[in-house]
Amino acid sequence: MSPTLLNFTGLGEKELAELDAACGWSLNIPELKEVQRYFKKAGRQPARGELETIAQTWSEHCKHKTFSGPVSFLNGKKTRKYRNLFKETIVKATRTLNKKWCLSVFTDNAGIVEFGSGGKWGLAFKAETHNHPCAVEPYGGAETGVGGVIRDILGVGLGAKPVLNTDNFCFGRLDDKRELPRNSHPPERIMRGVVEGVRDYGNRIGIPTASGGIYFDDGYLLNPLVYVGCAGLIPTDKIEKKVHPGDRIVSIGGRTGRDGIHGATFSSANIDEETSASAVQIGHAVNEKKALDALMRARDQGLYNAVTDCGAGGFSSAIGELGSKTGARVRLERALLKDTRIEPWEIWVSESQERMILSVPKAKLKRLEAVLKSESCEYCVLGEFPGDGRLVVTHGKEKVVDLPMSFLHGGVPNFEKPAVRRKVRISSGPPAAHAGYGLILKELLAHPNVCSRHSVITQYDHEVQGGTAIKPLQGRYGDGPGDATVICPRAATLDQDDYAGFAVTHGFGPGVGKIDPYQMALHSVDEAVRNLLCVGAEVSRTAILDNFCAASPRDPEVMGDLVLAAEGCHDAAMAYGAPFISGKDSFYNQAKDADGREYPIPISLLISATAPVPDVRKALTMNFKEPGNALYLAGLSRRGMGGSVYNDMSFSGNNLVSPLDMKAAVKLYAALLKAMRAGCVAAAHDVSQGGLGVTLAEMAFAGGFGARLDLAGAAAEKGLTRLELLFGESPARLVLEVIKEKETEFLRLVKGLPVTEIGYVSEDPVLDAAFGPERLFCEDINALKDRWKRELL
Amino acid sequence: MKKPKAMILRGTATNCDIETFNSFKYVGAAPELVHINQLLAGERRVLDYDIMAFPGGFSYGDDISAGKIYAVKMRALAADFEAFVRDKRPVIGICNGFQILVKTGLLPENKANAQVSTLYTNDCGHFLAKWVKVKINKKSPCIFTKGLPDEIDLPIAHGEGKFIVEDAKVMRSLIKRDLHAMTYSDNPNGSMLDIAGITNPAGTCFGLMPHPERNFFAWQNPDRPAAAREALAAGCQFFRNAVEYAV
Repeated sequence: MSPTLLNFTGLGEKELAELDAACGWSLNIPELKEVQRYFKKAGRQPARGELETIAQTWSEHCKHKTFSGPVSFLNGKKTRKYRNLFKETIVKATRTLNKKWCLSVFTDNAGIVEFGSGGKWGLAFKAETHNHPCAVEPYGGAETGVGGVIRDILGVGLGAKPVLNTDNFCFGRLDDKRELPRNSHPPERIMRGVVEGVRDYGNRIGIPTASGGIYFDDGYLLNPLVYVGCAGLIPTDKIEKKVHPGDRIVSIGGRTGRDGIHGATFSSANIDEETSASAVQIGHAVNEKKALDALMRARDQGLYNAVTDCGAGGFSSAIGELGSKTGARVRLERALLKDTRIEPWEIWVSESQERMILSVPKAKLKRLEAVLKSESCEYCVLGEFPGDGRLVVTHGKEKVVDLPMSFLHGGVPNFEKPAVRRKVRISSGPPAAHAGYGLILKELLAHPNVCSRHSVITQYDHEVQGGTAIKPLQGRYGDGPGDATVICPRAATLDQDDYAGFAVTHGFGPGVGKIDPYQMALHSVDEAVRNLLCVGAEVSRTAILDNFCAASPRDPEVMGDLVLAAEGCHDAAMAYGAPFISGKDSFYNQAKDADGREYPIPISLLISATAPVPDVRKALTMNFKEPGNALYLAGLSRRGMGGSVYNDMSFSGNNLVSPLDMKAAVKLYAALLKAMRAGCVAAAHDVSQGGLGVTLAEMAFAGGFGARLDLAGAAAEKGLTRLELLFGESPARLVLEVIKEKETEFLRLVKGLPVTEIGYVSEDPVLDAAFGPERLFCEDINALKDRWKRELL
Repeated sequence: MKKPKAMILRGTATNCDIETFNSFKYVGAAPELVHINQLLAGERRVLDYDIMAFPGGFSYGDDISAGKIYAVKMRALAADFEAFVRDKRPVIGICNGFQILVKTGLLPENKANAQVSTLYTNDCGHFLAKWVKVKINKKSPCIFTKGLPDEIDLPIAHGEGKFIVEDAKVMRSLIKRDLHAMTYSDNPNGSMLDIAGITNPAGTCFGLMPHPERNFFAWQNPDRPAAAREALAAGCQFFRNAVEYAV
C-alpha cells in the first residue's frame, strides 16, 4: 500500500498547510480544500500518488495559474479586470492577426510557422526558463534546461529535428562581494556553471548553440535567469498528433530515478534556505541523442500516433497530457529504473531526464522496437490509453492513482489577483556634466553588458550541422558581435539546392522595465525585429516568443508590472504584425538576502524572434566592409537616458524612457529591407546597449576600418543633447553602410524617412566623430577593441 | 560513371554525420549513413564501400576520452578496417573521427589496436569553437589536400585537439615522411609542431581536427565579402579529392 493519508479529508487549514509544506507541493489553502472536497465526495481518502499528481498538475509551473488567471489591475484611479490575462493580451494579438503562415500556436510544446517555399516544412520554436534549478545547482540546472527545451522540440507535433539552441542569461554583477545567504552561489560561480552546462549538453548532442545574450544586474544576484531555447524543422504533414484509444504507452530514452522529485512544485515557490538541490535533475546528453536519432527514424516511418516529452512532473504530466481525453492505464513496475530504492509515486512524478512518451498502435510496436534497438535506445511499454477517461496508475497490486482526467485538468480553482501600477519617479532634466565622450565610449565598451562575449560563445559549438550562415561572431577577424543568427537547416532538409534559412534573435530590456514595463515590452519587440532586419530577414513575417520572469505574484506591484508588460506585448505584436506563437512564464524569482530581506528580480521579458531569410547567401553582417562607403543613421534619435547602460554606469540625472513610435518603425524597416534586397547595403547594425557610439565602434573594429563622422545632420528630437545622441538608447534606430555606387538608389528608396548621412568608412583605423564644428571624440579603433574584448570567463 | 560508395559511419550519439553525408553527396559520391551496430550485426560490410568517413562531433558523449569508446567498439572489426586502409581506399576522420583513427591505431601506421599518438585536452582546458588558418604541407603524400592553396580558413570545434605522440622517434618518422599534412598558423590547442592533421604514408587515410564540411560553401565563412558568397570554399576540395581518387 502506498501511504494513504488516513484522515486527509478531515484536516483543518493549519494541518493542510503543514502537510503541504512537509510534502513540498506548493499548493495553497483554497486548492487543498478543493482536493479535500473531491475526496469527500468520492467517499474515500487519497493515496499519496494522487495528491502528488494533483500538486504537479496544478502547479504554477504546469498550469500557469497567474498568467492565465483573473487579475484586477489598478492603474492610477482606473481599475481594469481581466478574466484571463494571457488570453486577453498575448493570445488575443495572435488570434486577431490570424496569419496563415502560423501552423500551430500555443497548443503544442512549441509554436510552428511555415519554413521555406513549397509548404513542405515548418519551423518549430520554443524558449523557456530553468531559473530555480540554476540558482541551486548551476551546472546541472543549465544542462537539464537545455535538454528539456530540446525535448519540447522533439515532442512538438510528431517530432521536429532540432537545428539551433539559444541561451540568454541574467546574473548578478560579477564584482558583487556582498554576503550571500546560505544556499546561494556568487554570480561568477553561477555563470561558470551555467556556461559549462550549456556547453557540455549542447555540444554533445550536436545542436549549434548560436544565439543568445548575457545581462548583468543587481536584481539577479540571488535569482539568476537562464532562458534556453530551441528551434527545429518538422515536415508539415507531421504536425498533427492524436492518441487513439488502444495505443500503447511507450517511454523511450533515459531511465527513471530519484533525481528531480518535485521540480515543478519547487519552481512554483520562492527559494529559501530549505530548498534542496535534489529537486534538480541530472542530465545525460548521450541518452537524449539516442532518443533523438531513434525518434526521427520512427517518425519518418510513421510508427506512432503521438509523442510528448517528459518535463516537469515526469510521467504524471506527459502521460496525463497525452491521455487527457482517453484516460491512461499505467503499470509503473514496467518502468526502467536507475535506482531501485524508489517509491511507486516517486516513479510517477520523477523528472529524470531524456525521456519521451510515445503513443504507439499495437500493430506497429514490433517495428518501433526494432528501430529503438538499432539505435541502442532503451525503452519500456508502460501501459495503454484505454478510452475511458480515467487515469489509473498501479505498481504491481498497489493502486497509486485513480482519478478522472476531468478533475485533474479542470478542477483547479483560480482566484483574482490584485495588481497595481508601480510608482517610479521620472527626472528628465538635462544630463549632468561628464568627463568627455571618448572616455565614456571606452568605459561603455568595457561595461559587462556591452563587452565581448567571445569567451563564452567560443565554448559552444555554434556551427555543428554546418548550417550557421550568420554566426554570433563575425567580420574580418571573426569576432564582431552579430545582431541575429541565420541558419540554413540543410542537416534537416537534406536539400542542397535550397538556400532558404531563418534568422533568430532576441530583445531584452529590464533596465527600461524598472521604469516603464509597458515601454519595455515595446522596446524588446522592436529590438528583436530590428535585429532581424539587420541580417536582411523578411521582417513582415516575424514570429515571436514571450518569456516572462517575475518575482512573487502575491505582490500587487509585481502583478502590475506583468499586466503592463503583457499589454505592451499585445500592442507591439499588433503594430509589427508579429504574432506570438509560444511562450512561458516563471514566477517566484524572489529570495531572502543575508539579512532576511525580500530580494525580488526586476520584471524580465525575453522576446525571442524568428523570420525567414529567403537566401542565406545574401544575409548581411555588421562589420564595415569598404572604405569610401557612406554611413547612414536610420530612425529618429529621441530624448531620454532611461534604462541605458550609461545610466547604469553613472546616473546622468535623466531616467526618461524614450517612447517608441511603432508605426514609424514599421514603415522605416519596410523601406530599409527594400534597400537591402536591392543590394544597396553592405552592413547594418542596430543601436541598442551603449547607444550610437557603441554601434559605430563595433562596426569599425569588426571590419578593421575607421570612420569620419559628422552627427549634426542626424534626425533628432528637439532638445536632444550630445550625450543622448551618442549614448542614449532610444529605440528603432540602426546604422547602415551604403555601397557607394548604390547611394542614389538607396536615397530614392528611403525618401521622406528619417534616414540621414552621418559620415563614411575610412581606411585609417580611427573613429573620428564631430558635431558640426565641435569634435566629439577621436579614438583608435584597436584601442576601443582592446577595451571591449574582455574575457568574461 | 559509377558513383563511389561512401560510408558515413555513425555510432551512438555521434554528430556531424548529416553534413558529412551532404558534403560527399555534393561532390558526386553515393553516400550512406551506416551505424556501427549495423556493421557489428553483419548487416553492412566495410569492404563493400569505396570511401569511408568518420564524422566529427562527439561519440558516446566522449566519456572517458574523445573517441575512445567508439575506438574500442571498432576492435571487433579491426581486420576489415585494416584491409580497407591497406587497399588504399580513402578514409577521412574529421575531429572526433580523427580522434577515433588515432585511438584505433589506423593512423598513422595502419596498425589497429597499436596506438602511438593521441589527441589530448586543449591547453586552454576546455572546448573551443573558432575559425583558424591552417597551412597545407605541399610535400605530404595526402590525397585529400591536393590542389589546395598554401593557407586556408577552417573552423575548429573541439575540447581534445592537442596532437601528441608517444616519443620523439614517432614524431621524427612522421615529419621525415611529411605525414603532417596540415598545420595551424596560430596554434589554438597546443598541438606538437602545430599539427592539425596527419595522413598515413600512402596518403589515403587522413585525420584532421578542423571541420572542412563547415567551410564547404563561401557563405559559411564568418568574413562575408559580398562578391564571394556564391562560391564553393576550400573545405569542398577535401571531399572532391576523395571522390576523384576513388573513381
